[in-house]
Amino acid sequence: MTEGTVTGSLVSPGLAIPAGRRQDRVRFQRSSIPLLLPATILLVVLFLGPVAYSFYYGFTNLELIGPTATHYQFTGLTNFNQMVSDPIFGQSLYLTAFFVVGSGVIGATGIGLMLAIAMQSSLAVVRILIGALVVVCFMLPPITVAMVWYAASTAGGTLTTLFGSPSSDFLHSFPMVLVGAANTWSLAGLAMLLFAAALRNIPREVVESAELESATAVQRFFRITLPLLKPTILTTVLLMTLLSLANFTIVYIMTAGGPGTETMILPVYSYQQAFQFNHLAYGALIGDAMVLLATVVSFFYVRVSRARV
Amino acid sequence: MGTLLRGRRLRISIAAAALTAAAAIAALGGGALTAASAKAPVARTAAGKTVLHVAYGSTFVFLTPALAVKWWGTVAKEFEATHPNVTVQFEPIPGGYTDIVTKLSLLYRQSSTAPDVAELPAGQMGGWVSSGYLAPLDKFLPTAPWWKQFPQSVKAETTFNGHVYAVDHGENTNALFYNIPMFKKAGIPVPWHPKTWADMISAAQKIHKALPNVWPIWLQGGSAGGTIAIQYNGGNLLQGSTNPTIFDSKTNKWVVDSPGLRETFQFYISLAKGGLQAPVSQLLNPNAVDNVPALVSQQKMAIVVGANFYPEAWVKATCGPCWTAAPKIMGTAYFPTINGQAPGIASALGGWELAIGAHSANQSLAWDFIQTAQQRVNMITADNTGGWVPPAKNYWTDPLYVNYAPPFQAFFAGIMPKAVGEPNTPNFSVWGTGFNNATGAIVQNPNMTVQQAVDVMKSYVTQQLGSNMVETLK
Repeated sequence: MTEGTVTGSLVSPGLAIPAGRRQDRVRFQRSSIPLLLPATILLVVLFLGPVAYSFYYGFTNLELIGPTATHYQFTGLTNFNQMVSDPIFGQSLYLTAFFVVGSGVIGATGIGLMLAIAMQSSLAVVRILIGALVVVCFMLPPITVAMVWYAASTAGGTLTTLFGSPSSDFLHSFPMVLVGAANTWSLAGLAMLLFAAALRNIPREVVESAELESATAVQRFFRITLPLLKPTILTTVLLMTLLSLANFTIVYIMTAGGPGTETMILPVYSYQQAFQFNHLAYGALIGDAMVLLATVVSFFYVRVSRARV
Repeated sequence: MGTLLRGRRLRISIAAAALTAAAAIAALGGGALTAASAKAPVARTAAGKTVLHVAYGSTFVFLTPALAVKWWGTVAKEFEATHPNVTVQFEPIPGGYTDIVTKLSLLYRQSSTAPDVAELPAGQMGGWVSSGYLAPLDKFLPTAPWWKQFPQSVKAETTFNGHVYAVDHGENTNALFYNIPMFKKAGIPVPWHPKTWADMISAAQKIHKALPNVWPIWLQGGSAGGTIAIQYNGGNLLQGSTNPTIFDSKTNKWVVDSPGLRETFQFYISLAKGGLQAPVSQLLNPNAVDNVPALVSQQKMAIVVGANFYPEAWVKATCGPCWTAAPKIMGTAYFPTINGQAPGIASALGGWELAIGAHSANQSLAWDFIQTAQQRVNMITADNTGGWVPPAKNYWTDPLYVNYAPPFQAFFAGIMPKAVGEPNTPNFSVWGTGFNNATGAIVQNPNMTVQQAVDVMKSYVTQQLGSNMVETLK
């Protein structure tokens, strides 16, 4: 059989299919090139270009100020070797994974889902009030989120007064937990909105038939609701991952990566190296690592969501 | 299958082409970035007048943003009156210390954006000079009578390889403030003049016993305030120790273990272990350096390791906050050396400088602008409203300066001859972060030992700079 064609001999004589290209495969048409060109140019200039630029800088000895601020050179794998043997980079990777998975993937997604489900069966006035509060938390600028949580978790704050003593300092005793909680608090609203919309799209008949079959609420949740929410869960988890991975302001304002290096996630470490230590090239390389991490994560999620189909 | 493979190959080809194009753009851009900064100076004009581009920190440097705008506006007006063919164009830089350094370093990369005159922190002078961004001012200095009045320590901040690259605008010195009513309640005689660090600890212990709700000593630690906080806190301890060396100019190495560092860490441990320090939340607060004048006015602490700008913040003109009762309530004492050894008092020194861009097409005009800024009234007004001590010693007793916030102004000016600047080479920020990590660890863990604190600092700085860049002094 010729590639891309269907021979008439394999088909019933009553159904004559004209010879030619197959209609069930994605075909690339050259006429789409000029239509795609503006978006491609924007993508290259505003994304690929700067990212490639950053990758190049990561392998030089560029400084913010210093002897190699203007006369910098390509230094090969020098910065890469430094990164590989840098214990703070290793710690930063671990802390970033903890922050992203803990506060973004599990925290924000889980709390958003619980809120959406709880509000589904609540009174309208409660639903509106809670929904509005949660959305306000999401809409607050990161610096406001950071200041609110800083005030609440240090001595004399709401959290320390409620759960400890007024002189306690939760933030500096459990820094990673508190910055993670602040991140979850700021993102849960978005997750809730996504899940609330998805829950409204679950066919009522499916749920009713499960009720008729005497399925309990827990069984209905795990056997019907959750499977039907899978696409939304995947989308939400991807969003929470990327938003948490790029989070800088909340952590920087609350702890500046401290105490010591206890909350030194990758964005903060990159900033410290580039703009406080003037090691712009090494800071760029750390940023490159973040881009690669985000790419790997995105690729993984796309594969998982495709595998579902 | 064949079509699928062709489609996939096509997508891969497009992606590869895009990445290649991006890399090419990057390579070209990199070359362009280097080349641009090497171009000839760009002369700026507007409406037929020469434009003088002046960059300054608009929110962090002066005591309030309004005072910064007022002072720079006054200087520009005076300058333009004597230079009718020149117009001053300001580049106010908002944000904190790091924002100012970052913005200026980006402005300097291109001749078209590099300022003719810039206000720079003393702490980064070595970096600016080695970048090639600043013009030497040696040829201009003979016309500056005020330069001759600068102490050697101030001149040294901006002198590299025998050339002067900037002139000081105002300096900070440090000492002890103490709350007179609290001292009287604790039975400590006033006026108080501690001669050793043991005297400070003893007074703090008496305060702690008599007034348990008061913070006995304010001495910030940790990295939240940045390396700039060292100058106002632990840096003074190091200056008063038996070995204050931070950077060994003989070996070009950073000191990560020394008797001076150990004495400094021991003092922090004494405060933490004895319950004599302020609450951890306050000490690790990123805004602690700026908040202290307000905290002192709230009378939360008995002894404060503080800077000259606190009283200047309390006057009505600044109101940061307004505390006109300060002279009656707060006494001042020199920060002693550890055992009372010479020179007897210790203070870190650091300030802000005025520099001319190396690629400026208007260097003579830029110098004229600096001369205007450094005239008596302008310099003293900058120092009063910027929170500094005048760098020129003939202004230390000038009534315009002394009477702005009596009796504090004269006291802090008296420290200038003995104050010592911190190293201003680029890697000081790394050394400083290691120092802050160690003091922050002590603040949080009172049972820490001196060796453990030294290990925290040594491991951090060694890992960041390399073992060939650090040393231990015995």
